[in-house]
Amino acid sequence: MAKDPILQVETTCGSLLYELQIIWDEVGETETDRDKMLLELERECLEVYRRKVDHANRCRAQLRQAIADAEAELAAICSAMGERPVHNTRQSDQSVGSLKQELGTILPELEEMQKRKTERRNQFLFVLEEIENITNDIKGQGQLVLPKPPIHETDLSMRKLEELHCHLQALQKEKSDRVETIRKHLCTLYSHCSVLGMDFNEVVSQFNPTLTDPEGPRSLSDHTIDTLDAAVQKLREVKIQRMQKLQDLATTMLELWNLMDTPIEEQQEYQHITCNIAASEHEITQANSLSEDFIKYVEAEVVRLGEVKASKMKELVMKKRSELEEICRKTHMLPVSDSAMDQTIVAIESGIVDATLVLEHLEQHISKVKEEALSRKEILEKVEKWLSACDEESWLEEYNRDDNRYNAGRGAHLTLKRAEKARNLVNKLPVMVEALASKTIVWEQEKGIEFLYDGIRLLSMLEEYNLLRQEREEEHRRQRDHKKLQGQLIAEQEALYGSKPSPSKPLGGKKAPRMSTGSAATNRRLSLGAGTHQTPKPNKKADQRQAEGALSTGRRGLDVAGLPSRKQSMNPCEQLQSPLVRKPFSPISTTVVASKANIATPQQLVPSSKSNAVNEISSFATPVKNNNIIKNLEEEKIMMMMQTPKNVAAMIPIPSTPATISVPMQTAPTPLNNNNNARFLPEKAEVIEYSFEERRLAFMLQSESPIHV
Amino acid sequence: MTLVPSIGRELSNPPSDGISNLRFSNSSDHLVVSSWDKSVRLYDANADSMRGEFKHGGAVLDCCFHDDSSGFSASADHKVRRIDFNAGKEDILGMHDEPVRCVEYSYAAGQVITGSWDRTIKCWDPRAASGPERSQIGTYKQPERVNSLSLVGNHLVVATAGRHVNIYDLRNMSQPEQRRESSLKYQTRCVRCYPNGTGYALSSVEGRVSMEFFDLSEAAQAKNYGTFATGGCDGFVNVWDGNNKKRLYQYSKYPTSIAALSFSRDGGLLAIASSYTFEEGDKPHEPDAIFVRNVNEIEVKPKPKVYPNPPA
Repeated sequence: MAKDPILQVETTCGSLLYELQIIWDEVGETETDRDKMLLELERECLEVYRRKVDHANRCRAQLRQAIADAEAELAAICSAMGERPVHNTRQSDQSVGSLKQELGTILPELEEMQKRKTERRNQFLFVLEEIENITNDIKGQGQLVLPKPPIHETDLSMRKLEELHCHLQALQKEKSDRVETIRKHLCTLYSHCSVLGMDFNEVVSQFNPTLTDPEGPRSLSDHTIDTLDAAVQKLREVKIQRMQKLQDLATTMLELWNLMDTPIEEQQEYQHITCNIAASEHEITQANSLSEDFIKYVEAEVVRLGEVKASKMKELVMKKRSELEEICRKTHMLPVSDSAMDQTIVAIESGIVDATLVLEHLEQHISKVKEEALSRKEILEKVEKWLSACDEESWLEEYNRDDNRYNAGRGAHLTLKRAEKARNLVNKLPVMVEALASKTIVWEQEKGIEFLYDGIRLLSMLEEYNLLRQEREEEHRRQRDHKKLQGQLIAEQEALYGSKPSPSKPLGGKKAPRMSTGSAATNRRLSLGAGTHQTPKPNKKADQRQAEGALSTGRRGLDVAGLPSRKQSMNPCEQLQSPLVRKPFSPISTTVVASKANIATPQQLVPSSKSNAVNEISSFATPVKNNNIIKNLEEEKIMMMMQTPKNVAAMIPIPSTPATISVPMQTAPTPLNNNNNARFLPEKAEVIEYSFEERRLAFMLQSESPIHV
Repeated sequence: MTLVPSIGRELSNPPSDGISNLRFSNSSDHLVVSSWDKSVRLYDANADSMRGEFKHGGAVLDCCFHDDSSGFSASADHKVRRIDFNAGKEDILGMHDEPVRCVEYSYAAGQVITGSWDRTIKCWDPRAASGPERSQIGTYKQPERVNSLSLVGNHLVVATAGRHVNIYDLRNMSQPEQRRESSLKYQTRCVRCYPNGTGYALSSVEGRVSMEFFDLSEAAQAKNYGTFATGGCDGFVNVWDGNNKKRLYQYSKYPTSIAALSFSRDGGLLAIASSYTFEEGDKPHEPDAIFVRNVNEIEVKPKPKVYPNPPA
């Protein structure tokens, strides 16, 4: 019977029970036992019921749980994804069927959503991965690699996805920007390197080795970019530096070309450089146009040009300097000191001193000197005339000294003419000198400086010349006087004693022209009474001299009394003094014997030997005269010849009594000059002159006492 | 009295032979003149009168005043004499071995100093009794014959032949304070000390004058030479400005060599002995004469320089 199962069961159970009861009956179970067994049976049946129910409960709970779970999950997913579920959840709708039905509906939804979630999640994953990649790229290798960014499960919404997409895009953009930047930098760098003549790869590797590796991933990090940027900057600076240097060099080059007028062909070579002289940095793009080698090359050229300039400058300076010296020489001005110039030259060569400056100075100096030269011209011409007149003057003197000048010979007429001209010139000389001097004074006053001729003041030269002239004239005059006097005395002597010519030698000075021409050659000294007759050459002076010759030596001194003929060789100052002052000892008057005049203090009697000598001498001369020669002596000789009292042959002896003075006859050997006899005389040496008073006293005492020979 | 304004008044009654020296007195315009005619004469220059004549044994080579009433003479007869003008007498103070060439009286030392050709100078006490043994204070050897000497203050300058110059301090005559050689090349003719006592002037037969100083260090400083007169054998008297080394004035030429010069005590008069000095031996010459002339300040005052003189 297919009845209700439960009924079935109940039936079954009843039957079972009946059966049981039968069994028991059979068995004879006790009631208690029956009851216990029936209780047990019930209990056991209850347990089974309970178990079943629990199980069913559990199933029901599970179902419920499952639904709840599913719902929760769905909600979660939806919330995570930010979407509403496809179907409304059962929460709002109660018309769902059984649990199983409900579950049946939710599960597919859930599945759906799960599927979508997974999709979404994948999308996220993808984006995030991308982002990570790019970020990694951007961050660069070697940088700390960030851990994968966690996916936040709770936010899988589209919005978030969008966000992430944006982020990704931004990153992508950044990346591309960076790439671009790097690329640009690299381009620039490349260009710079090319211009600077540097190896691109080398340079790059210096800055960032990664960039040079064509295989490896390019780093896009800040570091990379920075370093690249730095590199670019650096190279740019280098470029600018070099460019400036090159431009300076080019400027210098242009200046030098300008200064030295370099031919255009030479300049052409460097045109490409000089055309860039004003370029700015970015305009210079030609490869190697700023390379070190190139710059060196240009530098070398500039140095070369500089050297050329220096040498040219030096040449110029030398040229200018010699021009200056020439001008100075021509106008008898003292040139610039050489040492200063040489130092300057050295300084120019070593580059210390700018030759242009020196040149400028030289130019100024030259123009100044030219001006001065111009102003000196007139005076210089006069000086030349004066100098040539002086030459003619000295020629004329020489000529006058020449004995042979009147001898007819070849060209004699020419010299005669010259002599005449010279005489005229000499006559004009004083006026010339005066005019020159006054012109010079005016010039000096105007200019406020001295007029120098080869370093000597012209006025001093003229003064000297005048002085010389005066001396000469003095000499002339004295010689004339001397001659005159000599002539007179000779005549006198002739009248008294007859003629005994002894030619005199007028002690001409070196400067004075000889008064007597003929005697020049016969420069005889006074012979002490030698009395050799000289036949002077026939000329107008001859007579005089013959007359002179008659003079005894003794007298000679007197001739010369007024004539300082010997003076000429003395210091010029002497000549300017009164000629009477420095006379050598004058001879004693004719009435007096011997030399008293020259001898000093009266001392002992003369030893006979001396007197002999003197006597000998006097034998030559007329009794009156002897030995008063002296006059012709040079002053020093005169002094020299003076004898000491001891040597003096004779003198005025000491008076034995105060009252009387006796003078021994004496032939004191007078000091002789050029006379050979002088050597006979004892000359012991001391050179002591006698004062006028001493001489006078000697003379006086002599004249007071009688003469005894 | 001959009035020759340009060369001065010629004194009457001059000596009959060469004049060796003449001096004005310190206290009046009396002039004492020594001469080769062996006499010493006293003149009143203003009155042009001779007030005394004293004959000696030999030519008188020098003379000087002691005071207005007495003086001393140096003679070629080797004697040094005292002369009393008022009493008209003279006596012998002392003697040399050779002619006495110069005589000076030192007021500072109160002594007579003589120089001689015997190569000595001797100092005498002027008040001693007559006779060389009593009056000679000292005798000092010189390198050569004495030609000239001069005194100022305590300094004595002796110029000898051979161009020696000895400078003595009168307070210590044992040896010369300085021994010098004349800076002139020729025979020394005359030496005279500066009145201011700083030095002396030497003249030579050449006609030059050198100005010297006692104190050698002072010479380096600026010197005030003052003005001085020189007379030469050319017959000219020149007045010089030592500082500027220029001649201030030249008097007219005198008849013959200038043998001696003397300024009066106030400098207003200058006595000039125009007397041939035998520089050329015996020869005819103009007569010996003494001229006295007034000295104008303008002739002897130094001319002002353009730039100031260095400090004296």
